[in-house]
Parts: sequence; C-alpha cells; structure tokens
Amino acid sequence: MLNTVGVFIRVKLPKLIFRPLELKNMKVALFIPCYVDQFYPNVGVATLQLLEKLGVEVTFPMKQTCCGQPMANGGCEQDSKGVYEHFVDIFADFDYIVTPSGSCTYHIKKHYDIIEQTPAVQKIRKSVYELIDFIENVLKIEEIPVDFPHKVGLHLSCHGQRGLRQANASEITGVRDGQISKLLRKLKGIELTELDRNDECCGFGGMFCVTEEAVSARMGQDRISDHLRNGTKVLTGGDVSCLMHLEGIVKRQNAPIKVMHIAEILNGNQP
Amino acid sequence: MTSREKILASIASNKPSLVTMPNVPIFEGDGSVERFKNVLESIGGTAVELTTKAECQEAIDKYYHDLVNVASDIVKANVSINLDTNKDILEQVDLAVIQGEIGVAENGTIWVPESNMLNRALPFITQHLVLVLDKHNIVANMQQAYDKLEGVGNYGVFIAGPSKTADIEQSLVIGAHGARSMMVLIY
Amino acid sequence: MSHQNHPELAEAFNKDFERTTWHDETLWFVRQKRDKAVYPIPEFQDLRTLASEIKDHTLSNLDNYLIEFEQNAIKNGVKVHWAADAVEHNQIVMEIIKNSCKVEGRNPRLVKSKSMLTEECHLNDFLEKNNIDVVDTDLGERIVQFRNEPPSHIVLPAIHLKKEDVGETFYEHLGTAKGEKDPQILTEAARQHLRGKFVAADVALTGVNFAIAETGSFVVCTNEGNADLGVNLAKVHIACMGIEKIIPDLHHLSVYTRLLARSATGQPVTTYTSHFTKPVEGKEMHIVIVDNGRTQQLGREDFRSSLKCIRCGACMNTCPVYRRSGGHSYDFTVPGPIGAILSPNIDLHKHKSLPFASTLCGSCSDVCPVKIDIHVQLYKWRQIVGQANELPAAKKWAMKGMAKVLSMPKVYDLSGKLARGALRILPHGLTHNESMNPWAKARELPDAPKQSFKEWYEENRQ
Repeated sequence: MLNTVGVFIRVKLPKLIFRPLELKNMKVALFIPCYVDQFYPNVGVATLQLLEKLGVEVTFPMKQTCCGQPMANGGCEQDSKGVYEHFVDIFADFDYIVTPSGSCTYHIKKHYDIIEQTPAVQKIRKSVYELIDFIENVLKIEEIPVDFPHKVGLHLSCHGQRGLRQANASEITGVRDGQISKLLRKLKGIELTELDRNDECCGFGGMFCVTEEAVSARMGQDRISDHLRNGTKVLTGGDVSCLMHLEGIVKRQNAPIKVMHIAEILNGNQP
Repeated sequence: MTSREKILASIASNKPSLVTMPNVPIFEGDGSVERFKNVLESIGGTAVELTTKAECQEAIDKYYHDLVNVASDIVKANVSINLDTNKDILEQVDLAVIQGEIGVAENGTIWVPESNMLNRALPFITQHLVLVLDKHNIVANMQQAYDKLEGVGNYGVFIAGPSKTADIEQSLVIGAHGARSMMVLIY
Repeated sequence: MSHQNHPELAEAFNKDFERTTWHDETLWFVRQKRDKAVYPIPEFQDLRTLASEIKDHTLSNLDNYLIEFEQNAIKNGVKVHWAADAVEHNQIVMEIIKNSCKVEGRNPRLVKSKSMLTEECHLNDFLEKNNIDVVDTDLGERIVQFRNEPPSHIVLPAIHLKKEDVGETFYEHLGTAKGEKDPQILTEAARQHLRGKFVAADVALTGVNFAIAETGSFVVCTNEGNADLGVNLAKVHIACMGIEKIIPDLHHLSVYTRLLARSATGQPVTTYTSHFTKPVEGKEMHIVIVDNGRTQQLGREDFRSSLKCIRCGACMNTCPVYRRSGGHSYDFTVPGPIGAILSPNIDLHKHKSLPFASTLCGSCSDVCPVKIDIHVQLYKWRQIVGQANELPAAKKWAMKGMAKVLSMPKVYDLSGKLARGALRILPHGLTHNESMNPWAKARELPDAPKQSFKEWYEENRQ
C-alpha cells in the first residue's frame, strides 16, 4: 500500500486457466469501498488484476459509492438508507459482488435489514463476497502461484474473522486457521509470523478511531508491537480500514514494516 | 398493587412468547480417579489414595500430627461439634475431617451435604479441611453429579480445593477466608 | 454533578502508558487462563448453546418460574420479598436488619459477600447512613471499600490496583508494615481482620448466582469461602437477587456450573458452589427479588437477551477497550461490554457514550458463555442514541452530510477529488494538527493519491 502514488507495477503471472464452469455467464461486479477508492486505489487495481488473472470477467459499475457503514456504526443507520438503496440500485443486476473488504461485506449482509427486503435487497445480501472468500469458496481456488519470500504478519479483521467467520476465533478454539492464512501459507518463500495475540482487534473501529482516539491509538500501537516483537516485515490483512490505521502508526513510528493488502500480495506485487 | 404484583404483571406484558426448553443431555466423560486427582492438585488440593476407609486415621496421624483441635465424625476428634456449637469453639478448630459424597473428575469438586458437616460453618471456619471420598462416587462432570444427587437438601456445597483468592494483582493466594489447605482421602 | 463520558475517562487512563500496559496484560492473562480452561472441554460450545437456550426459555416464562420459586422457598421456611426498584430493595434490607437484630448500645453488624445487585442499588451507603455497620468480605471488595471506590470489575473488583496500592491501603486501615506489598502477607492480614468481622456479625448478606425454581434453592459461588462463612455464623441470611437469576431445575444448573468459573477466571469451578434451601432451626433466611429496570429490558426485543448474563466478566477480560480504559471509565456498576448494553436501559442520557466505547470487534459475543450477541446490541443501542438526539450536534450533521454525499455518485466523486487535492497541497503541520484532527495524534494520514480508483479505471479500462 506504500506504492508510489499513481504508479502501478504490473507483475507477470501465468494467467490462470482455472475457471469453474458455472461461473461462465455469471455477472461479477467489483465493489471498491469509498476509502479504498479515494486513498488506496492501488488495492482496487490489485483486486481487479487478480480477479482477471483468475479468469473472472469483472464489471466495475462507475456510479458506486459506499456501503453506508460509517454512518450506521456512528448511530445514524436511518441516514444511511439512501446509501443502501443506491448500493442496491447499482449492484442489483449482478450474480456476485466482490470486494476487498470483509467489513463492508459484513455490513451489507448483516445490516441491510432496515430497508424493505425486496428481492433485489435479498439477492444482494447473499451475493456480496469478500475477495478471499470469493476466491476460495466460489472460484474454488486453493493456491495462487506467487513468490513472496518475506516474513508476513497477518492482521485478521474482526468483521472478516468473527463477522463472516472467515477465520477461527481464539475465543472458540486454539487452532489458528482461516481463509487468508490458507492461501498465504502456500506462497513460495513466505514465512508467517506467529503472533502473541492472534486475533486482537487493531482499534480502528470506524468513527471509534477519532471519538475514542486514545484507546484506538493504543490498540493499534499494541498490535504493531506484537508484529515487531515477532519479526513481521510485511503486514497484511483483508481490510484496508484496519491496515490504514495500522499503517498510520507504522509511519508515525518509522517502524520497519511494510503494509500491503492481501490482494496486492496475491496479485504478485512485491513490497 | 404490591411490588410483587407489579413485577409479575410487568414480566407478563414484556416477556416474549414461549421459547422451547432445550433438551439437556448428560454428557459423557472421563470420571477416573486419576483425572480427579490431577485436577484437584491443579486447584491447590491434595489427593491421597487409601485402600480402605479405615486407613483414614492413619493418614490423619501422618499428615496432620501437628494440629491440635480436630473435629470429625470419621476419625478421632478432640473438639465436639454439633448444630449448636457456638462461634468461639468453632473458631478454634484446626482440622475438620468430614465425609464427601460425590467427586467430580472434571473440576476436582466434592459434594458435601449439610448432614455431613456437623455444623454448617465447620468446613469454612476450620483452618484445614480433609474430605473423605469413596472412589466409586467419582463422576465425570457436573451433569453426572447433579444426576446422581437426589436433591440438594437443606444446604450443601460443592467444595473444590482450599479457599483461595487472586484479588491482589491476580497473584494466587491459598487460604483466603476458608480452609488454608484441603486434602481428599480417596478409598 | 458533572459527568465525564467514556472517551474522556479513557484518555485520562491512557495518560499512564506503563500502567495501561500492566492493566491490559493482567486482564489478558485472565483471558488466557480462560482459554486454557475452555479448549479441553469437547462440549464447551454445546454448553454455551444450551446455557443460552435455557435462559431464552426461562425468560419467556419468567413470571411463572418466579412464582414457582417463591412458593417453594416459602415452603422451605424462607421469607421472600419483592422490590420494584433500588430504593425499595434498600428499604427492605434495612428493615430486615433492624427487625431481626435488636442490639443495644451499638449498630447492627452486616457482613456482605459479593453482590453486584447491591452495588447497583448503592446499598452500602444507604445502610451506613441508617446506622448499620457494613463490611464487604470479598477481599477485592474490602480493598475498594477501604478506599471508598466502586469495584472496577464484577469478578475482580480491585483489578485496577497494584499490590503497592493495596499495601498502602492496608497500612492505613489494617496496620500492615509500611511498604508491605506481598500478596500473601496482605491476604493473611485481611484474613485475620475479617475473621473477627465474621464472628461478630449479626446479619450476613449474599448475592445469588442462580435461583432454582423447582426447589426454591439459590446458589452462591465464591472462591474465598466468605459467603458461607458469613452466612453460617450469623443469625440472619439475606440473599438479594435480580429477577433474571432464575433457572428451572438442578439439571440446568449443571450447565452453568460448568461454564461460570471457566469463563470468569479459568478455574474449572469456583472453590465453593453453595446451595441454600432451608435455614437452620432458629435462624432466618430472606430472599429479596429485585426488578430495578429488568422488566423494562425484558420488553426490549433487541436487548432482552442481555438479561441472560451470568456475571462472569469474560467480556471485560477479552475486551481490548476495557483492558485499555479500566472499569471506572464506564462509570456504571457493571463495566465493560455487558455494562455498555445494560446501562442505556437505566439512563440513556448519562450512559450514551458507552455503546460507542467499542470497536464492535465481537470478541465479547464469542467469549460469552450464554452467547449474548453483545456487539450486535452495542450497534443497536447506537441507533437508539442517534434517534434520541443524544449524539453531539457536529457528529450528527457530519453523518447526515456524509450520507447525502455517498448517495450521490457525482457529488461523491467530486468531494473525494477536492479532499485529496487539499490533502496533497496543505502542509503536514496543518493536516496533522492534533486539535483539529484527533487521528493525527498518534497516526499519519494515508497519502492522498492523485487518482482515485475510479479515475484510474476510467483511464485504463474504459
């Protein structure tokens, strides 16, 4: 995510041959969340390129904006209704909506219950997928041939992990596993960081990051310390929001950690 | 309207429609003496296996020969305790040796009904506590324990190890208000 | 009285970096002990589901179970009292004490084991004002009582204090040596001090962990033995319970006794799980059943499951916000995530910042032994705070503005471009001005790229 602004490195990857039959004729939309669109366009590009390499024909509806989560988490769910309806209008025609954010996916699935449950709304709540979930469970891809000879620390986003159940939760089991780590483990040359606290929240929390600035910052600092202590060189995760917050701390502390979204790594980008 | 009526009326109007009661199974599990002993030791208790109940006296003589005031209906006692014993005498008890009824392997706890206690305060006010337990009465978990119990009587306590606290900085200290040590004699 | 909100109190707590580290690590240690106690039980998740469903059932038939409980308790020779609110609860307790213990020339003496309900009702203050001597006998509670502080945790009342703090308090109140901080020695001093109080007490008060409708019994769980010691030495036993403590029968109790201590402290079970059914001949046993806002919460469909709480405190130990802000920052009897969904029911205006004292990470819901969806309820309370016009005006209008922008793609595209442009031009000192931008106190803003993804897409793919 620290790529120079506006410059996108294309990495040659064998175009994947794999494409499940049932996906032909399926209409797949790419949803790039508002803050990714504005501040992390390279994560959007990596997501798009990755999906294309995996043989998916992706449409990006130009009129998309946001899932409405920021207002809703701030206690203004009712104000979000217009945003929800706009989202539904834009994406209603697609069979799959793929987004590099567990948090937005969770919000749409869980909290689009306050608008009228038209067939379109019901369909959207089912068809929205977080990127890695889509790769593993719709595309059925278990391995992506990428070299990544770095020590990688995975930050589990709570909405992906506990919201969408994309990874085991330490409250439930001592086995540390999940969708992202399954793919990461298979990258060539990669070493994964064993954290002291595998799934503690980073402290971003939407508006929380400013309304509860002191605790939010402290939580982020503690996550970074855990990664530093255990040797992380590249910090990754499935949600740009967590990573934006953690990167903000890394940069402030001048810590020797590079922050990359999982789409960037799987797309073959190098730190 | 009394408060009782007010509360009950408020519940009646606010409660949801009836939700079905789940079927609570009696879970299986390891109810071995070995497990019971291991768990008991992990929570600060001590377990000693005897061949027969008659060996209790010998064990008490061996482990507690330095204690003066002993209350018991199982081994030799020199303080007589009953329902009416006053606090001053209870306070002097160094060791109470009483019968436990059911042991639970999963958590090292032992059921002690009032009828075994001599006085309700005894298991708590004594400085040291010994419970005597028939190994055939060890079950795997709490489901099995309550299943085996025929009611809880007037008063009864599951006791698991010595009294303890970690209220100061999470440092475990054995011997908060109740017994400073707890031994189980298993026969 | 001016009331500070959670962010202010949390910020103050975080001023001491080292102490925050210590507080976080101490509670995380408890969370880890909990994990170690939970993982080896193969049916633990089934037990959570059962515990949740038993409570769902019980709450849906609560009035009948309370009546059944009352009838059985009366048959057992127990006196049952009902209190609609805290004031009535306190009055009842006082009258029981005054009627049952006619002492001359001194105040009646009450020893109390831990009861969050009596904390909620502010019973101690009330009794002391009415000339009754009150001694909290749980070690942690006694420490905070000496210090005139509320507990900061429902299971570990003095968890915010270091052993040096306790040493200082005991030096002052119990005459331990100046500078003594060994927990063993301090605990022994409390033991000696409190033994005297137990023996001298006229009345003992306990909380109730579970009340069994079928038998009219109630169960009290402690580690120290203070509940049993107090109750069995005093002439009168008063047990105070919220209406939600009821469960149908002993078989159901077995589910909760397997969950409570493992979730709370990582012990396989509490040292003492005491079942009180009948008083000893010549002694008195009273039960005070209290509403104090609970029936109102029962009527709130989205929040009624908060009444399933068995007060294990696991949600506090796991909460990354609680661990880094301390129990007192919640300014409510029950702090932490569960407190943040109970408190708005009592006073929405006063506690409006609590549903926002969370990242909605969901750890609380996953750790909860009765599966309360705490983080979902936090989200829902936020909406109620918003609708009740309790949000700060600036936030409210910012949200409305943002919502408008985000529902109009062209306006969104343009505002994004302008904002990024501004961020690129403005000096770092201004964009990272701490008083205007709290984000920047400890974090850098992301670089503002020239192109948004949309602009890139337009240029490269269309």
